[in-house]
Amino acid sequence: MKALLMKDFYVLWKQMRIFLLIILIFSAIPSSFNNLFAVVYAAMLPYTAGAYDERSKWDQLAAMMPYADRDVVLSKYVLGWLATAAAAVISLLLQGVISLFWQPTSGGYSPVLILLAGCAALGIVAIMLPPLFRFGVEKGRVVMFLFIFLVCGSAGALSSIAIISTSYGGTQLPAWLIPAMAAAALVLNAVSIPLSLRFYRRHSR
Amino acid sequence: MNAIELSHINKSFGGFAIRDLCLAVPSGTICGLAGENGAGKSTTIRLLMGALQPDSGRAAVLGVDTSSPEFLSVKEDVGVVLDEAYYPEVLNAAQVGKVMAKTYRRWDADQYRAYLQRFDLPLKKAFKDFSRGMKMKLAIAVAMSHSPKLLVLDEATAGLDPIVRDEVLELFNEFTRQEEHSILISSHILSDLEKLCDYIAFLHQGQLLFCDEKDRLLETYGLFTGTSGQADSLVPEAVIGRESSGYGGVRALVKRSEVPATLVLDRPTVEDVILFLVKGGKRQ
Repeated sequence: MKALLMKDFYVLWKQMRIFLLIILIFSAIPSSFNNLFAVVYAAMLPYTAGAYDERSKWDQLAAMMPYADRDVVLSKYVLGWLATAAAAVISLLLQGVISLFWQPTSGGYSPVLILLAGCAALGIVAIMLPPLFRFGVEKGRVVMFLFIFLVCGSAGALSSIAIISTSYGGTQLPAWLIPAMAAAALVLNAVSIPLSLRFYRRHSR
Repeated sequence: MNAIELSHINKSFGGFAIRDLCLAVPSGTICGLAGENGAGKSTTIRLLMGALQPDSGRAAVLGVDTSSPEFLSVKEDVGVVLDEAYYPEVLNAAQVGKVMAKTYRRWDADQYRAYLQRFDLPLKKAFKDFSRGMKMKLAIAVAMSHSPKLLVLDEATAGLDPIVRDEVLELFNEFTRQEEHSILISSHILSDLEKLCDYIAFLHQGQLLFCDEKDRLLETYGLFTGTSGQADSLVPEAVIGRESSGYGGVRALVKRSEVPATLVLDRPTVEDVILFLVKGGKRQ
C-alpha cells in the first residue's frame, strides 16, 4: 500500500501544489468558511487521485502488479484520512499563530470546529469513494456534483455553527456533537470500505 | 513445469468471446502470441494475470492457479509490459523507480538505473513528455528490474525504432539464457516473433488456431511457387491457402506431407504461414 500512497502523493503534489497553496492561504485568512473549507476540501483528494488513475489507465497496469484489491481500495481511504489530518493540523497551527496577533469579531480560531470539519471530511471520504469504484470518475460526474454540494454545504454549515457559537452570546456547542460526528464518520467508513472493495472487484473484472 | 497454462478458458464480453482457449508455455521457452487486432491477445494476457476472471476454465502461472490467493506473491516473479505504459503522466523515471521499489520486494535499483542508462532515458523528465518508444523502454526497464522469472509482453516492441527493437529483442534473448526464465510475447511484428520465439501461438477471433514449436511449424509447411495449372494438380488437402503472384503465377502454402517429395518448396516465414492460414480460413 505504501507504493500506491507514494504514487498518489507524487501525482497530487505535481498537479495540486498551486491549489494546495491557495487552500493554505485560505485557511490562514480568519473567516470560518475559508478555514473549514480547507479541511473539508482535503476529502476531495482521493477522488482527484482516482481521476488521474483513470486518465492514465493506471488500474490496468496495477492489475498486473502484486497489489491486493484491498490495498488498492484502502490506499484511497488512507489518502483521504491523511490529507484530512494534515489539513486539520496545518489549519490549527496557522490559525493558532494568527490568533495570537488578531482576534476577529466573528469566525475566529476554533479548534473544536476544525475537529468537526475533520469529522465531516472523513464522512465525505466514506460517501464519495464507493461511487468512484463503482462508476469511475468519468461516469461519476453526477456524484461529483453531490460531492461539491457536500463540501460547500459542510463548510457552510460548520461556519454557521462557528458564527452562532462565538458571536451571539457565546453559545456552547453541545458536548455530544464531536463524539457523535466522530462515531458517524467511523461507522460510515466501516460500511464504505467493504462496499468499495466489492464495487472495485466487480468493476475491474 | 509449464510457466503458463491456460486450460479450456472461456470468457464472453457480449460481442466478443475467448472460446475454449488451451495454451501451455513450457518453462525456459519464449512463446509468441500472434493474431489480428481484436483477436483476443490482450484479453488472454489479462486472463492469465488474473486481471480478468474467466467464465470457465483454469489459468495457472508458474504453477499457481491465478484465482488462488497465493497468486499475488507469484506476481512478484512476473514482469509485465502492456501495449501502453500506463504510468501516471506527471511521474518521472526516478519517481517510477521509487514507487516500484515499494511495490516489488526484489526491486533492484542499480539494475533499474543501468537499464535507464542503456535505453538513454532521462531521470527527471515527466512521463507525459516521453515519446512512445521512450515510454515502452521505461516499461521494459521496470519489468526487468525485479528479477522476474516470467516476462509477459503485450506489443512491447511496438513503436520502437528498428535499432532499439533489435536491442530489446537481444535483451529478451539474454533473459531466457537462464534456464527457468520464460517469455510470452504478443506482437503484430511477426518477424520479431520469428527471430525470438521457440513457440508460436496464433489467435483468431478469440480461438487458438495453433500453438506449435516454430521450427516444426516451418517444417510442416512449404511455400509453393508455380503456375496455376501446377497448383491445381495438388491434392486439395495439401493446399492451406493460395494467392496470385501475377503473370498467371501462383503462390501457395502447402503441407509438405501431402505433396510429392520431388516438388520444390521454399521455406515459409511465420508471416507466410499465418497470412495463408487466415486467408485460407476466410475463403472456406
